[in-house]
Amino acid sequence: MTSVLEFRGVNASYDGAVVLQDVTFAIDDGETVGLVGRNGAGKSTALLSVYAVPTVTGDIAIDGKIISGRRYEPAALGVCLVPQGKRILPNLTVTENLHLGRAAKRSGIWNIDTVFDLFPNLARGAKRSGIALSGGEQQMLAIGRALMANPRLLMLDEPTEGLAPVIIDQLVEALRKVQSGGTSLLLVEQRIGMIQQLATRYLALRKGLLVSEGGISDLDKRDVQEMIAL
Amino acid sequence: MNIAQLLNGLALGSLLMILSSGLAMIYGLRGVMNFAHGALYMSGAYLAYTVTNHVSFWAALIVCPLALAVIGAVLELVFFRHLQTRSHIEVGLITFGLALIIERIIGIIWGPHTLPVPAPDVLNGTSNVFGTAYPTYRLFILAIAVVMAAALVFWLRVSDTGLHIRAASQDGETSAILGINVDRVSLTVVCLGAALAGLAGTLAAPYFSVQPGMGMAILINVLIVVVVGGVGSLGGAMAAGMALGIVQTVGAVWLPNLAALLPYIALVAVLAWRPTGFAGKRV
Ligand SMILES: Nc1ncnc2c1ncn2[C@@H]1O[C@H](COP(=O)(O)OP(=O)(O)O)[C@@H](O)[C@H]1O
Ligand SMILES: [Mg+2]
Repeated sequence: MTSVLEFRGVNASYDGAVVLQDVTFAIDDGETVGLVGRNGAGKSTALLSVYAVPTVTGDIAIDGKIISGRRYEPAALGVCLVPQGKRILPNLTVTENLHLGRAAKRSGIWNIDTVFDLFPNLARGAKRSGIALSGGEQQMLAIGRALMANPRLLMLDEPTEGLAPVIIDQLVEALRKVQSGGTSLLLVEQRIGMIQQLATRYLALRKGLLVSEGGISDLDKRDVQEMIAL
Repeated sequence: MNIAQLLNGLALGSLLMILSSGLAMIYGLRGVMNFAHGALYMSGAYLAYTVTNHVSFWAALIVCPLALAVIGAVLELVFFRHLQTRSHIEVGLITFGLALIIERIIGIIWGPHTLPVPAPDVLNGTSNVFGTAYPTYRLFILAIAVVMAAALVFWLRVSDTGLHIRAASQDGETSAILGINVDRVSLTVVCLGAALAGLAGTLAAPYFSVQPGMGMAILINVLIVVVVGGVGSLGGAMAAGMALGIVQTVGAVWLPNLAALLPYIALVAVLAWRPTGFAGKRV
């Protein structure tokens, strides 16, 4: 079975400052993987490497095919990102923000109606400006926008950052529904509890190196916790 | 102020509106203040002279925007795309150099003299506007500009490409991550902006004379319009274009000694009051 996303010896840097070194991993179809590590470890950089935001060397493959480094290509191949900080387009309405996800031109179960079913709050604010929403609703919008592309792999970068526990529970429920549609998840989270709820496997970054990986039950072990210094 | 003066203001404002909407859109996408925009306008006017002489003004109205769109494509593919990562001042200087080169080429082809472009016969007379006889051609400029602006705004609101342009103007990196081909969107916008400059030049040709200083003269006004309107804001640029046209034309009647300074006075006044311009969201 080929992996939906694969990093082979990936290095990433910003203006010559090396952030990721020789990172290798693979995400299989339908599985959910947690990516952990302390602040500044390089988690966001790893996700953004797929879109050539940092300068990348080494190979990144989608479905076994090495991607070109054109920034818009991964979304069209079904690898979609819910970026850290949500990055809602402030000059667009909720509906318009969602329609941006169609730029990837992929069809499937997710469309404006099914996204509104998943997040009824968005349906109620459909015509409002994207940034007029609460933090939790903006996160739903960022997830909904990525789902509109019908991703095979959805990568989420700290989706619970700054959100209240009750909203986080809603997000976990929504992500379970996304999983049940067959979409793989790569979840970056500070909340280990959320990763334990959703993922079967973890990857751990420390100072730009992949220092540990394994089954989700190992995430509790003392040596793993110390290595990633959570 | 009488109706004729107001209409003169609206006619000039129409041209500024068409020009500045193109400049604002290019700035929004590429972050480039295109100092060659006046030279593009001038190219449109000179081309209109030749096409009108050989074919007709109506042909010029189609051919000149298309020809300018091709020049826009060259600007984007040869310059803007490769200069994305350079500082604004460097790119600004390069577009300024391009303006000088284009004006030189025009001088070589068409010579240093003022060239007349007749309006088509049907537009040559005057029309009655609220009891005032007013040149029909200037009303035509106004009508084209209003239709153009409405069509542009409508297209940006309802089409997928329009949505992608609005998104990419706001945040190119996020738009690209979502799957938008920002390079292609930029090509569309720069071609469109250049075509609009060509249209403005064609429309201006029978109104003002076609002469070597026309590009730089209008560039200053268009830059002021874009800054006053809020850099990068299309609606702001359109409104400010109309406003400046009126201020300048009416000012020339009431304060003839100060008329040349009025755009700058308007610039300083607006920036003192709202540093990001009328509709400014980015500085
Ligand atoms: N755009 C950027 N330019 C320069 N350095 C960056 C940029 N983004 C992140 N970094 C640096 O890269 C390192 C990893 O950052 P990041 O990937 O955001 O970590 P994490 O997401 O794990 O908290 C940090 O040292 C950070 O300062
Ligand atoms: Mg991060």
